[in-house]
Amino acid sequence: MSPVDRRLFTHFDWTLAGLALTLFALGVVNLYSASGFRMEEGLTLSSFYRKQLYWGIMGLGGMIAFLVFDYRHLRMLAWPLFLATVLALIATLLWGKTIMGARRWLDLGLFHFQASEFAKISLLILGAKLLSQDQGKLGWNQLLILGGIALVPALLVLKQPDLGSAITLLLILGGMIMYRGVHGAVLKVVLLVVPFLLPLGWHVLHDYQRQRILGFLDPTSDPLGAGYHIIQSQIAIGSGQMWGRGFLEGTQSQLRFLPEKHTDFALAVFGEEWGFIGCLILLLLISLFLLSIVRTAAEAKDGFGCYLAVGVFFYFFWQILINIGMVLGLMPVVGIPLPLISYGGTSTMTSFCLIGLVLSVSMRRFFFKKN
Amino acid sequence: MHLNRDADLQQSSRNGLLLLQLLVLGMFLVFTLRFWYLQLHRGQEFAERAENNRIRQQQVYAPRGLIRDRGGVLLAVNEPAYALAIVREDSQDIPAVLRQVSEWLDLDHDQLLETFELGRLRIRRFQPQILVHSLTFEQLATIEANTMTWPELKIVTKPRRSYPQGPLLAHVIGYVAEANEQEMSADPDLTLGDSIGKKGIELTMERTLRGRKGLRQVDVDVAGRHLGTTLLVPPQAGNDVRLSIDLELQRFVDQTLGEHVGSVIVMEADTGQVLSLVSKPAFDNNLFVAGLSHADWALLRDNPAHPLQNRAIQSAYPPASVFKLVIAGAALTHQIAIPTDRVFCSGGLRLGNRLFRCWQRRGHGWMDMNQGLVQSCDVYFYTLGDKLGVDRMHPYAVESGFGLRTGIDLPHESMGLVPSRDWKRRRFNEPWHGGDNLNMSIGQGYMLTTPLQVARYTAALVNGGKLLKPQLLADAPPEVQGELPLQAGHRDFLVQTMVNTVEGSRGTARRIAKPGVRLGAKTGTAQVIRLMSEFERADLEDIPYHFRHHGWMNSFGQRDGRSYVIVAMVEHGGGGGSAAGPIIKSIYDYLFPDIQPADEPHEPG
Repeated sequence: MSPVDRRLFTHFDWTLAGLALTLFALGVVNLYSASGFRMEEGLTLSSFYRKQLYWGIMGLGGMIAFLVFDYRHLRMLAWPLFLATVLALIATLLWGKTIMGARRWLDLGLFHFQASEFAKISLLILGAKLLSQDQGKLGWNQLLILGGIALVPALLVLKQPDLGSAITLLLILGGMIMYRGVHGAVLKVVLLVVPFLLPLGWHVLHDYQRQRILGFLDPTSDPLGAGYHIIQSQIAIGSGQMWGRGFLEGTQSQLRFLPEKHTDFALAVFGEEWGFIGCLILLLLISLFLLSIVRTAAEAKDGFGCYLAVGVFFYFFWQILINIGMVLGLMPVVGIPLPLISYGGTSTMTSFCLIGLVLSVSMRRFFFKKN
Repeated sequence: MHLNRDADLQQSSRNGLLLLQLLVLGMFLVFTLRFWYLQLHRGQEFAERAENNRIRQQQVYAPRGLIRDRGGVLLAVNEPAYALAIVREDSQDIPAVLRQVSEWLDLDHDQLLETFELGRLRIRRFQPQILVHSLTFEQLATIEANTMTWPELKIVTKPRRSYPQGPLLAHVIGYVAEANEQEMSADPDLTLGDSIGKKGIELTMERTLRGRKGLRQVDVDVAGRHLGTTLLVPPQAGNDVRLSIDLELQRFVDQTLGEHVGSVIVMEADTGQVLSLVSKPAFDNNLFVAGLSHADWALLRDNPAHPLQNRAIQSAYPPASVFKLVIAGAALTHQIAIPTDRVFCSGGLRLGNRLFRCWQRRGHGWMDMNQGLVQSCDVYFYTLGDKLGVDRMHPYAVESGFGLRTGIDLPHESMGLVPSRDWKRRRFNEPWHGGDNLNMSIGQGYMLTTPLQVARYTAALVNGGKLLKPQLLADAPPEVQGELPLQAGHRDFLVQTMVNTVEGSRGTARRIAKPGVRLGAKTGTAQVIRLMSEFERADLEDIPYHFRHHGWMNSFGQRDGRSYVIVAMVEHGGGGGSAAGPIIKSIYDYLFPDIQPADEPHEPG
């Protein structure tokens, strides 16, 4: 470790940190409003927004830990971290805690650890290491290795079953590969093969997941089943109109609709209460947040740091895209939360840790002389 | 890890960065367009659909389990209670409604407004928000007649707990009250306005008594008029609880204790079933259910007689002579003395330069163990305590169940205290003296026990040495917690001395003797303060109340294969036999009624 350099502070990215905190605060306020009680358990949601605040505080701790840590040491840790993750995923399948029919949580006493979230971090680090090792467009060998490290955790996560996380894992690495660029010939082959793989994927999916995709293709076919969420969330958002109904005054997003309003459908509550103006401001904040991650990638002085930032970018980008797309009825319902906004312990922790990682990269950009 | 960015990499990363920026821009545009489409272009239509989409879900309260006595008499029931609620969403003009309500029910308008504002942030606009709890029937009638013109007003039915016996069982049953913030965040099943057990059996059996709330769906039209109700999740009633308490006996014991301050426990010696547990003064647990007014609460809290304290389990007193049984047992077990060993009592024992007096100033003369217990001679026990020492007395007392909670199903049980060398060093930073042994041997000094610990110990003496958990649930099987550290022969000897204490001419409990019933007892006088000499010879009536001693009596009574233990503690009741004796005697008279000659056939007339 180098001695603490004053430039570490002068290079601190206040914009990124500020935007992240603003988004998180909006999420907590929104959670407060998503109160009422959950149908199945009669939960008072007051406990949700409080818990989310605790998660946020813990997340900030994680963020600080990550930004203090010199990210370049992660290169050495990439493989061990990845293998630990795979083991944790296997452990989850064997001894995990089953909640609502899915084995996703490892009970660590203090809290339930969702190994699939951890997988996103370690896959992104390993991907950054491999992608920054050489230059030029990717050929077959590299692509096979990269595909392997993405598929192993993705399949393990799919077994849980957690389709959302499996898709996110593949997309994060896919995005990083896209950034690097692939040889034209390779690309053609992949594009030809993928359509034939889709039916295979269909078989891997669980029944209810297939139902959701069918329901998405025609929401009206099953208005009380798979299409119900999609219709209801559009009614909620639509009824917000220009100015929204006002804080705490949403009627649709309350318990008469969506059991997941505090997690995956948090945005529906927001849209109903703050209207078009509120949604536009939120979109703007989200876009600026993503762009400041892109800026870090652009300014990073080593390939590894650059790819780390790109990986984090895709972690946020895909989940935001899929979640908002789903809430707006543009995509099928897969259980993917809106990072920083939705309720969720592990997801909040992961988001803050990854933001810390990006801050760590941007703070240390002066270590490398410009050529 | 320095990396030279060559042209190729520069190029590819420039492409990459451009790609990322385009992705963000694309997302922003597509979603903005979609928001515009949903919220502005079709917003009106969706808002109308939302208006018609008025399904409301409401909780259905589950009735709490009932509490009965061992014979099935109801001790805790649920009564319907009516509350007035408002649904904000259905109101055109909330201030007008509030004015109207305060006029109808003759309530302070500002206070009503405050209640409304407080609830506003916690209750959704389409959920009934309670304005007034517990309406009287007149108020109910007034509102019922007007709900058609005021659709936003709703009458909410909510079961309310009621205790027909009130103060008679308040210490056992406890009470329910509205859950507070802490309890709500600790238990996800609780929502605002739920009642949960706060004390007594209502608290310890909460899981059994509480049901599961149900959920109903209420369909309303745009005006808020009720269209229909569907039950989505039926509520599950809580389970009933049958107590070991015998209501009639409890009532009798309560009357017998009368105006005294203290407690009485009646227990089955072989099962640990608690048939009666009375602590006086008591309080009315019904007051807590509706929410106690501040004045009432202050009255209960500041009452110098502490009516909220359950003296049978929460108050710990010096056990006094009652503890001599334990010391005698320790001496026998450790072979310090055998029953026939004699000690001469001259009215006191000199230790170093201090004189430890016997309560009998004249002295008892020669005492063996039986007479020492029957006449409760202090000097005899000073001698044993001096030989045993605290290091043997402490563990022996703990093994006999002192200084440990009995585990009865009631909250806040006191442990009492069995002093030891270590304890004294920690507490006072002083060594243990020889005089401490003497004080401990007659159950004074630092020793503290609860009446229930004494009852458990007494039951163990007569049931074959089993320390049983005192059971408050009629259906609970006997639960053995340990064995008295005492051989059977020694145990029988101690039991016999208790019988002699009742039947012998010099026994301190001779006043409770009853033909045909095998009774045994031990009396004790817990000193409140070392009495000033001027009171030493005075009559009880002439001694100010707070200087009078506490009187103990523990006893057992057996007839026809039935075996009971009764322990009474009367605070400031004077010496053991004087106040507690008559109370215990009456209870045995009740439990073992004199055998009546068969009724003569009635003469017609």
